[in-house]
Amino acid sequence: MQPAQKRFLLRFVVALGAFYLLVAIQPVNDHVVVPFTEFLVRVSTVLLAVIGEKTQSFGTVIQSPAFAVDVKNGCNGIEAALLLVAAMLAFPASPKQRALGIATGLAVIQGVNLFRIVSLFWLGVHYRNVFELFHAAVWQTALILLAVGIFLAWSRFAGGGGPVEARG
Amino acid sequence: MKLAVRVLLGFLAGLALWWLATPAYNRLLAGMAEGAIRAVERPRATRLYAEDRRLGIDRADFPSTSDRPSLPVDDLTFNVILFLALAATTRGLLRDRAVRGVALSLLVLFALHVLAVVANVEAFYATRLGAWSAAHYGPFSRNIWATAMHFWRLVGCYAAAFLLWWFLVRAAAPAAPTASRAPSGRSSSRAASAGGPSRASRRREKG
Repeated sequence: MQPAQKRFLLRFVVALGAFYLLVAIQPVNDHVVVPFTEFLVRVSTVLLAVIGEKTQSFGTVIQSPAFAVDVKNGCNGIEAALLLVAAMLAFPASPKQRALGIATGLAVIQGVNLFRIVSLFWLGVHYRNVFELFHAAVWQTALILLAVGIFLAWSRFAGGGGPVEARG
Repeated sequence: MKLAVRVLLGFLAGLALWWLATPAYNRLLAGMAEGAIRAVERPRATRLYAEDRRLGIDRADFPSTSDRPSLPVDDLTFNVILFLALAATTRGLLRDRAVRGVALSLLVLFALHVLAVVANVEAFYATRLGAWSAAHYGPFSRNIWATAMHFWRLVGCYAAAFLLWWFLVRAAAPAAPTASRAPSGRSSSRAASAGGPSRASRRREKG
């Protein structure tokens, strides 16, 4: 492994561990993660109403007469966000490039994640037999692939169009 | 082939493999994880068994009349889909070094899945069995096992797939040919230092 790769690996693992510990702390979870998830749930409820689903939100729960989901960590996009931010911080780039990449990346991830929540609820109402497959495997993987894709595209931009490998 | 098509094909292949192989894979996983747990527990009481897409947990000291708990395993192992989708984006995936990288990565993923099952079973013992948990696990070990389980489920499973692809597959794959002076495809000093295709080769790869 090249020294630049080792540096990228070390920075990525340290940043990911630090972010994980941050969101695992109870006060951070209670005062940041949960309110944010509740916000996602309220927006999702509005979007579900737009496509004709009669739903209500209670905290992190979306409920209709036919189906209900409790949106938790792992469904609020936080896992993809942590990976993306850790990778962007580990990759050599200027603070401005990092800030731009993180802001854009998080916005895209959360936009797609809203679509994930809405589509999963819709599947739960209308196609319950495939809900678990899409919940556990398809959407989780797709969101992380999106995060990796954003990172690779950004690393080209941050590297001036050069290779996307971790550099010194 | 366009990148998006390769990702989609890798994703679908991974999804099909994961879905179809899970029952047999879970039996293997149960055997390995049970062996790992029994190697360190006294008395050796744990028995794990695959049931549908879950792992059943039994202990010799569970009352015979009580229900047997089970763990959802899909959550722990589906990162193989992510890994295969990422691997499919790699040019020259079928060349020797990249194939070795994929094989090694899958072995590492299997070992991590075994550890994830061990962490989940221990976290279950440590936090979900009331007085029994309090009697057998102190606050420190409860936190360690619960954190290990939570870390794997929240970010560890994704990070493992990403890092294995990045370092064992992507870095091992041969770069596309570049300028005539660099038949190995590693003429760019920046790419050479990091193991990736050069800017020129990437331009040619488009379309």
